[in-house]
Amino acid sequence: MDAPSFLTAQFIASVVVILIVVHMLLGAAGMSIYFERKISAYIQDRIGPNRVGFDFGQPWLSFLKGMWGLGQFLADGLKMLLKEEYSPKGADRALFNLAPMVVVIPALIGFAVIPWGGVLSLPETITLPLIGWTIPGGDVLIAGANVNVGIIYILAVASLGVYGIVLAGWASNNKYAFLGSLRASAQMISYEIPLGLSLLTALLMVGSLMPEEMIRHQSSEAWLILSQPLAAIIVFICFLAEANRTPFDNAECEQELVAGFHTEYSSMRFGLFPLSEYAHVAAGSAIFTLLFLGGYHLPLGLIGAGEGHLLSPENTSIPAMLAKFHVFIFKTLAIIFLVILVRWTIPRLRFDQVMQSAWNTVIPLAIVIVVVTAVMIHLGYRSTGAMLLANAGITVFALGLLPILPRRGGANNRKVRLAGSRFSPLEGETVRTSPVSAFAREDRPVESTLPVHSG
Amino acid sequence: MAIDPKDIVELPAPVMTRAEAAYLPEVIKGFGTTLRHFVTSFGQGRTSRTIQYPEQRRDDYPVVEGGLETRNFRGVHRLNRDENGRVKCVACMMCPTLCPANCIHIEAAESPWDDREKYPKKFEIDELRCIYCGMCEEACPVDAIELTPMYDVVGLSRQEMVFDKDKLLSVYDATIDRKPM
Repeated sequence: MDAPSFLTAQFIASVVVILIVVHMLLGAAGMSIYFERKISAYIQDRIGPNRVGFDFGQPWLSFLKGMWGLGQFLADGLKMLLKEEYSPKGADRALFNLAPMVVVIPALIGFAVIPWGGVLSLPETITLPLIGWTIPGGDVLIAGANVNVGIIYILAVASLGVYGIVLAGWASNNKYAFLGSLRASAQMISYEIPLGLSLLTALLMVGSLMPEEMIRHQSSEAWLILSQPLAAIIVFICFLAEANRTPFDNAECEQELVAGFHTEYSSMRFGLFPLSEYAHVAAGSAIFTLLFLGGYHLPLGLIGAGEGHLLSPENTSIPAMLAKFHVFIFKTLAIIFLVILVRWTIPRLRFDQVMQSAWNTVIPLAIVIVVVTAVMIHLGYRSTGAMLLANAGITVFALGLLPILPRRGGANNRKVRLAGSRFSPLEGETVRTSPVSAFAREDRPVESTLPVHSG
Repeated sequence: MAIDPKDIVELPAPVMTRAEAAYLPEVIKGFGTTLRHFVTSFGQGRTSRTIQYPEQRRDDYPVVEGGLETRNFRGVHRLNRDENGRVKCVACMMCPTLCPANCIHIEAAESPWDDREKYPKKFEIDELRCIYCGMCEEACPVDAIELTPMYDVVGLSRQEMVFDKDKLLSVYDATIDRKPM
């Protein structure tokens, strides 16, 4: 009996990779929440979750107690599952139930084109054990899908996430949720333009849409973050905006809106929103690694030098595949750490600032980069040094343009004099803003505002 | 009432330098700050100020290091005993009169002892109703009721948290070492 024609070695590899990566991704989304809490705690000089281990209250498992709080994500997920499913009166039930799925699915399928382990060489024909079918082998790509339009697929999937958010806000029958979803959609659509333009820059450099080809290019020349640093920064910013992460989390800013688009959600339907956010972060980090950090390539030639070393695209053995997989994951985790660091460092932009920075800064800059890169490649200057020089030129040009651009706002703050105010103290009053407590750190200069009356 | 224009101060926004206006250098400086704190407080490090509560308590630290000041901490009440071990209270009804939360209930009875006329037959404090203001302590003419540094009391029902005379006396026995009369 012959094997069905769709059953090739690539098909089997894709299924295996998808099964592994989807579970890894869901686990990573759960663990990201733990790491986010832990890292934010350390940044704020706290401890973070450190109680929930894996002992499940069983005395015979007491050696798994604590575990630096690693079991926290299980507890959080279980809590989500056990909460009451509630949908508000007047909500559009079908859309209300659909929205979390529409949010999660794009976040999960964005991974499909990431070439985790590069190419794996298999024999020309493979006989499957037990079944006895003979299927064609050859080189298979360790990715969910071996498609030629990989980068376009990423762009297409990244835009889909906004539908779920709009649906969630719309179906909730709640003004706050609707406001949050409107903010989110405006922001995500705005940041798709520079994202597309910067990806175009990367594509111009590589000359191919295939993810594997991008890594091949970067390992033979230089990582694209070296030749196109501005485009890399813009792509990173846009991924933050696409994932609704700080400083672009206007969709759910806790301090301003009630909760944003997921105000009315509860239970696991709510849990899917943070899950999708962290899946977005993980997917965005993987794509950033692929585009700008050389994928699985390490430049140092650590494991044997030369063309055939373990991380070169030409090495298609199984140990090379495993090594590449781990390097890729490590780089992705590093970017996730950076994303978390950004969240706890940078304050949220006001909504008009989000739009301003998109339309007045990031989009023009991306257009300039694309045009300059295209012209340079047309003229034949495609070396890393030339591109770096061009980037430096664009930076200097943009900084030189800053002072002659029209100043936004410009209105002075109008205040009424107040006793003890740091900004508008009473006449003849000086307000001390230096640290008065021995515990104050140098980066917390405003420890108290003791009014000191002079005369 | 409109604000008089002469009271209004115009505060110009601080002018940003060109590097600040480019935003990214300042962001990277910010990363420096957060990373420094991340490193220094990693794993309850140098800058971490957390007290791991059930294992470590503020009671165990000196006050200048953030420990608990036991002399004026307002926790659970106690009923003090006199030198003979009897309840010191004379059921003068000062504290239930003054109590802003109405959480003290006293039933007075004729004292079985010679040195006072009345004593509390029942003395109940609803610890859930109490706001721990300490007014009862200040009102008491014989220093019979006091607030203690004990703060970790739990109960499985509301009824359990209504402390009667025996329980309040047992709080006295439990806290007399940490907070002498």
